[in-house]
Order: sequence, then structure tokens, then C-alpha cells
Amino acid sequence: MPYANQPTVQISQIEANSTVLFDEFISHRIGLIPLTSDDVVDRMQYSRDCTCEDFCPDCSVEFTMDVKCQDDVTRHVTSADLISSNPKIVPVTSRNKEEGSEYDDTDDILIVKLRKGQEVKVKAFARKGFAKEHANTTQITLYATQHTPNLRNDQAPFDPTGFPNKYFYNVESCGSMKPENIVFSALARLKEKLSNLQTQLSHEIQSDAEE
Amino acid sequence: MNAPPTFESFLLFEGEKKIQIEKDTKVPNAAIFTINKEDHTLGNMICTQLRKDPQVLFTGYKNPHPLEHKIVLRIQTTADYSPQEALTNAITDLISEISLMEERFREAVREKQEGDI
Repeated sequence: MPYANQPTVQISQIEANSTVLFDEFISHRIGLIPLTSDDVVDRMQYSRDCTCEDFCPDCSVEFTMDVKCQDDVTRHVTSADLISSNPKIVPVTSRNKEEGSEYDDTDDILIVKLRKGQEVKVKAFARKGFAKEHANTTQITLYATQHTPNLRNDQAPFDPTGFPNKYFYNVESCGSMKPENIVFSALARLKEKLSNLQTQLSHEIQSDAEE
Repeated sequence: MNAPPTFESFLLFEGEKKIQIEKDTKVPNAAIFTINKEDHTLGNMICTQLRKDPQVLFTGYKNPHPLEHKIVLRIQTTADYSPQEALTNAITDLISEISLMEERFREAVREKQEGDI
């Protein structure tokens, strides 16, 4: 199931960093922020399949973050400071302010705290990936299956010789995609895998028969 | 570090075949299929589907080693049937089953959304 795809951030450049955290630490923290990808992910290219040399709008989305603390109070750098070049791919916590209706308001994700005079400037690219390649591309936070006898509904009497024929799937999303879209994309991916295998198999059978 | 690159688990090497067929020389109507860059997701699914076929006498799959990204699937069938046919039919059936499930789920989601409004 967890084959669905989600864009994730790859930091390419940290231009300035005078915070208490080192560069890798910050890039790792940014990489774990979930990004909204419901409508766009299917149209995005994998950057390794893309024709461009490095990053292009077809296979990546550019993010910038430039924060400097000039006050006496501690400045919290959060996912809200991450500015996206594509309004459809933003950190999930930033989306809620624009739409507001569908999900409850969530707090911004803290990346680093700045003292007076410290600054952080980052240029990052989000690209598409899937969980088998890197765990930060998974968009499922919880996924469980359960088959009958089901303790939740408690409707059927227990049958010790029975065979499970009814499953309960529980999918919880981290916010980047709706759970139903995750299921659809998982099913589509399975179908794609199978039909790919079928074509390869028929080729192989044909070449076997010719020998 | 000496960790193998992560793409090795899903990208075929150059010139590598997705699926290879090897006839079992000791038993009639048996074949061993090696499917590269796949794991239990597909292996278990195909194997379970093959078990529902009454003309399939034996089917089993293994992932020989967690760092070797392939599965080995062995199928033995009755005399009037071949492992290749069995596998093709199993995959066709799985595709239609997934399509059916997708369709039903799409309907259920639509019903749920209409019910909410």
C-alpha cells in the first residue's frame, strides 16, 4: 500500500546559516515537513526521468526561506517561512490559513529558533519520490488492517473454522493527500506494476517460444 | 558509507530483464520465474491468486535475500496447462479485481461525499 507518491524537499543550497544548528540538521528538518500534493503529484515527473539536467518546473518546485532575527525576542523559524514557487505545493500547515474550512487549524512546524543577529537563508527543491526510496516521502502516518471477527462492531459470533473474508482498512494521512486519494493512488500503482509485469511476461514467453 | 543506493530496489540495472523464465528439469509442467526489482507486495499477491487456480498444483515464492531485490516464484501445473499461462491468467485476474475494487471504492467515496452535503 505505501507506494503512493509524494513530493518531498531536497535541500540544494544553504546560503547563509548562523543559527545554533548545523546545515545538515536544518535540511533534514525541512525535509520532514509534509507538503500538499493532492492535485499535482500525478502530473509531476520523477526528476531522474526528467529531461532537464538539474531541476526544472516539470520535476521540482522551488522553495526559499530567508529569515533574520533583528529583535530582542527569540524568532521562531517555522514552515510558514518556507515560500513556495508553486501555490499548489506548500507545507501542509500553510494551506490551512488559505482554505481554513476543510481541516482544523494546525500549528506551524518549528524548524529552528533564532537569537538576535542570527540568520538562515535556504534555497530548496521539492521533488517527487516514494516511500521505498526515502521514508520522508511517505504520506501515511498510520495504516492498519483488521479482518473479521471484528471487535469494534461485535456483530458476528466467533467462528473458529471461518476464513477471513472481510477486512477493515484504516488509513491516516499526514496531510499531504486525502486518505481516499492515497488509496486510489496505491491501487493505480498496483495496477501499473501488474500490467507492466504482464507485458514483460508475454515478451518473455514469445522469445522463449522462438528459441 | 557502504550503503547500497536506494534506487537499487526499484530500478532495473542496464540490460536486466524484469522477468526470467526457467524450466524446472526435474518435474513436468513446472517453471521458476525470477521477477527482478519486486518484493512481497507483488510476490505475495500473485502467489495467493495462483492458489485459487484449481489447475495449479504448487506455487510458492521467496525473496532469496533482503539485499537482493528480486522474488523467485515457482509454479507447477497440471498436464493440460502451463505455468506461463497460469501466471498470465493470475495477473489478468488480479488487474480486473483491483479495477473492480477501485470502481467500488470510487462509488463509495462519492456516496459518502453526497451524503455529507
